[in-house]
Amino acid sequence: MNNFAEWLAQTQASLAIQTHLWVIPAVQSVHIVAIGIVVGSVLMIDLRIFGLSGRDQSLEQTVQRFSPWLWGALGVLLITGVVMVTGEPVRELMSLSFWLKMSMLAVGIILAVTFQSSLKRNAIRWENSAGFGGKLLAIMTLFVWFSIIVLGRLIAYDHVWGTWSLRPIT
Amino acid sequence: MDVTAVLQKLEASSLAAGIRDSLYAFPLIESVHVIGLTIVFGTIAIMDLRLLGLASARRPFTSVKRDIMPWTWMAFLLTLTTGFLMFITNAPVYYSNFQFRAKMGLILLSGINMLVFELGAGRTAHRWDDSSSPPGSAKLAGALSLLLWIGVIFMGRWVGFTSTRNVEPAPDVNLEDLFK
Repeated sequence: MNNFAEWLAQTQASLAIQTHLWVIPAVQSVHIVAIGIVVGSVLMIDLRIFGLSGRDQSLEQTVQRFSPWLWGALGVLLITGVVMVTGEPVRELMSLSFWLKMSMLAVGIILAVTFQSSLKRNAIRWENSAGFGGKLLAIMTLFVWFSIIVLGRLIAYDHVWGTWSLRPIT
Repeated sequence: MDVTAVLQKLEASSLAAGIRDSLYAFPLIESVHVIGLTIVFGTIAIMDLRLLGLASARRPFTSVKRDIMPWTWMAFLLTLTTGFLMFITNAPVYYSNFQFRAKMGLILLSGINMLVFELGAGRTAHRWDDSSSPPGSAKLAGALSLLLWIGVIFMGRWVGFTSTRNVEPAPDVNLEDLFK
């Protein structure tokens, strides 16, 4: 992985980002704006599942209202994420936080797909009252997204993992 | 007491020292700050996009507002608290940092924008509540709010690059190339 990161750092695309110092802060900011859209959408759907917000609207309507924004923002996160990895390959790929974040992202996507397909199949059951399983799924989803944010920020502080950190000793 | 003395006192406090000395405190406080701000921005964006008629257009504006408001304010309190904790660790530097000041200015402006809306178009919301296209002044408030908060995020991220962390130096210029 270190070799791959070193190779990526020498590519034209990476050098272009490295020489323009404004690119990384700007792209990071867009990344945060997009995760804000994701968190806002997930929060509203979860609050609806718990009956804490928007109770006069069905869960299905709520999900329809937010899921295009959710998936659209995930697309923006992917693109800006690729730019950041290309621009700072060693910083990103050689950090334990990054790989933990990617693992949580995979879990988050599995949870979202599970929820959407379950809602499609058992719309009436979800509508009447989300059972224990539904509420657990909602809590887990929110927890996973919060942990993705924390792990994302910890990429800048990979030393918190001590000897587990993948960062090469310089 | 003047500002400089207050800033120095904050920086010298045992709370600030505790956060500075810990390996984990600052990264974790910063992470909670980001969680809080994503909730603030994410929920406000829902309302702004409704004002612009770009999202939730079939749901009454007042319902959209009622859905998000308590969560927005709770999250704002969380970002304010964690922001203050980060500020005191290096108070004089943040205080004189241009991006930090710009960020505070933009937050103030978005507060004024909200106030103007509440005293203007917001007071007649019952008249256009169900409309997918609110009056111009309401749309303007929504657009301004969205832009101001995006500006806050950009400035906030930029503070991190100009105050606590050194920006990585540009690749070395090869002097021999200059004489070819």
